[in-house]
Amino acid sequence: VSRFGSLPRRLVHVVIVLFGITLVTFFLLRLIPGDPALAILGSSYTHARAQAIDSGLGLNRPIWSQYGLFMGRLFHGSLGFSFFYREPATAVIVQHIPATLFLVAYSAVLAALISLPIGFAAGLRSGRAADQASRVFFTLSFAMPAFWLGIILILIFSVHLSVFPISGFGSGVAGHLYYLFLPALTIALGFSTVLVRSLRAATVSTLHAEFVDTAQMKGIPWARVLRRHVFRNAVLAVVAVYGVNLAYLISGTVLVENVFSLPGLGTLLVNSVSDRDYPVVQGVTLVFAVLIVAINVLTDVVQAALDPRVGQEIGT
Amino acid sequence: MIRGSRSRLLSAGLAALALTATACGGSSSSGTSGGSNGSGTLSTLVIANAVKVDTLDPEANSVNESIWLDQNLYSRLLQPNATGTGLLPDLATSWGISKDGLTYTFHLRRGAEFANGMPVTASDVVYSIERSRAFKGGWGFLLTPVKTISAPDPHTVVVTLSQPHAPLLADLAMYAYSIVPEKLVKAQGAAFFQHPVGSGPFMVTSFNPDTEVDLARNPHFYGTKPKISKVRVLIVPNDNTRVLELESKKVDVIENPPGNLVSEIDKTPGLSVQLFPSTRVDFIQLDEHYAPFKKVLVRQALNYAINRNAIVKLAYQGHAVPGASFLPYRMEFYDSAIKPYPYDPAKAKQLLAQAGYPHGFNAFLITVSGDVAGQAEAVVVKSELAAVGINVNIQSYELTTAYSKEDSGHSQMGERYWTNDIIDPDEVATFGADCQGGANAFSSYWCDSQVNKDVDQARSELNSTVRQQLYNQVQQAVYQQSPFIVVDYSPYRYGVGHWVHGFHATPLGNYDLSLETLTVSSH
Repeated sequence: VSRFGSLPRRLVHVVIVLFGITLVTFFLLRLIPGDPALAILGSSYTHARAQAIDSGLGLNRPIWSQYGLFMGRLFHGSLGFSFFYREPATAVIVQHIPATLFLVAYSAVLAALISLPIGFAAGLRSGRAADQASRVFFTLSFAMPAFWLGIILILIFSVHLSVFPISGFGSGVAGHLYYLFLPALTIALGFSTVLVRSLRAATVSTLHAEFVDTAQMKGIPWARVLRRHVFRNAVLAVVAVYGVNLAYLISGTVLVENVFSLPGLGTLLVNSVSDRDYPVVQGVTLVFAVLIVAINVLTDVVQAALDPRVGQEIGT
Repeated sequence: MIRGSRSRLLSAGLAALALTATACGGSSSSGTSGGSNGSGTLSTLVIANAVKVDTLDPEANSVNESIWLDQNLYSRLLQPNATGTGLLPDLATSWGISKDGLTYTFHLRRGAEFANGMPVTASDVVYSIERSRAFKGGWGFLLTPVKTISAPDPHTVVVTLSQPHAPLLADLAMYAYSIVPEKLVKAQGAAFFQHPVGSGPFMVTSFNPDTEVDLARNPHFYGTKPKISKVRVLIVPNDNTRVLELESKKVDVIENPPGNLVSEIDKTPGLSVQLFPSTRVDFIQLDEHYAPFKKVLVRQALNYAINRNAIVKLAYQGHAVPGASFLPYRMEFYDSAIKPYPYDPAKAKQLLAQAGYPHGFNAFLITVSGDVAGQAEAVVVKSELAAVGINVNIQSYELTTAYSKEDSGHSQMGERYWTNDIIDPDEVATFGADCQGGANAFSSYWCDSQVNKDVDQARSELNSTVRQQLYNQVQQAVYQQSPFIVVDYSPYRYGVGHWVHGFHATPLGNYDLSLETLTVSSH
């Protein structure tokens, strides 16, 4: 990850990436057959009505001038007006950020809580029954599609046991924690597989490292060797995996948001593509890009905090 | 109701029985009512819709579910009745039409008030209609013959026309011409529709278009106060989740339970799937830019080659009616003398040979991905046309992409459907049969000058016997010449708990009338 070199250089990269994304999404979107007028009018489409809509939305201008207008607005912090919601796209997107962000953070925490102890234990007892059991369980949960796993969790915890709500976001932090538990668990179970497997592998290889033997021979108690030397080094190897997958997780919330009727960015993105709501699609894509870049940078920072060698490389 | 619900996953099912039992009132409880103790009533109804709310601004609505929602909030001059075959007074208690058919005078209800207590005046009515008329890409084109709309006094609205226009009353009963308070809309602009104030039976207390809209009884409503005091409308896009919400009794009514779960819901004690006649017509357009479809014999052959009963059974679990006329089933001026083409592959082969295609031809059929019923229909069509030598290649696209391909007139065959926005046949005839109506006869690009003339004449003809005659001619011509294959008429489908008494949707899809009277038992 440190291949980006210094932080300032990295920020320049970020700007270039974001610019590229505006260009690609803007023109790709317009290559999709069907336009906003058709999405709005459906079966009662007529050429005259479509033209009226196009002129109302400014879609009758040349495409380059539309792109120029979009970029001009973007520098002033505006994404334009949502065709579908009829309010500023920025406002629409901001309303949808909390659900997704909360869900991703919640899933990430749950995944860490699930996979750290299990992955470490599986590594310590590699090849034994507990290790095999965790392998089977997490391979299955990884293979289960989120929409199916989500429905099964709803059936068990909401319909039969009535302990968690079926859908919705709740209000207040406590409400969110309660309402988002099942969706977060759905995501966390799939996400944990990668973490458990890599933590297990890292633990096994760390156990065989020479410094572990050295520490043991120095007479350090085994529990302390595990805590200070094995666990710390093994977790370090997993942080990068965690970061990269977390970035994927953001875009992967779409299915889960659908199953649990959550008003998040994933749902918004899918709906807006169907509606050909160009300003919103462009905006959400940008937000996703910013989030993913931010998580990557954050991963570096965490890694540096855990391992001074990484920090030195970033700092040069 | 332009777009219909996003997905036709909905498809729909309807026993012919339910269709013929007009205005079945939706009163539910037959069989056991599990969990309902029958004692006590609840004040809140919870409905789960599949589609988010686009807006509560009637001039701009395009999503059916949102249209049905905002009909609970606003009044119009008139409203369609429960069977969708006539009009009832709403804000106008009576109206008169001049002898030449060019002047309509509406007398407004005295004492009608908006939900905030402000009186509804004639100038609000004029403002609202003019506002919707001017909306770009909206429904202003329906009112093209309207010359002036004026308010000579606070209780009278006068509409003058440049030529007689038979659908005028039906047009004014449409959602787009809902009445909003002029002062507030002018002062607040778009923000008004985040917390709108109308004169309908309910008002909005909380508006989250993606998750939940809450309504409360409007204390100033002119009519009988609804028996329930609150309605919560949840947005639950996932089909399975919606059904689970109903099964766990957290929700009272769900729209569009998926076809494959209908029998499961019916088997669950206390729940049932209710079907309401709709104005939906499922058809397959035949694009006349494709050489074989230029020939009327080929188009007729396809009609004989397709087994409508098999499609109804496989795609709609038996809950649809085989299609005959292109007008929505049993709407005003529907010609019942027209019967569905019989299933007759031998006759189809003979017609194809006569047309010069004894060995058939290749064609592709556009379907909408995710539309379960539509996919099933496509498979049946493919296998039946193969039997007469026509090789059909099914192409699936996302909804708007599919429409874009079908509208452009290079689609060969395409699955489509229609739903009415008004109760008058003028709309469907203009879009479906008049090639100069703007929609190229449902994008078939079929053109018949006599039909165009008949549609125009029926629009300005006020004598209903003559109109019936004209619309019969149009329906006969479309039936004979088959610019598209009318496959079936499918109903609206709702999953309803037996503790809800009196839920009912009209053929236009509105359920506001039933929300005024229904009751909810504790369960």
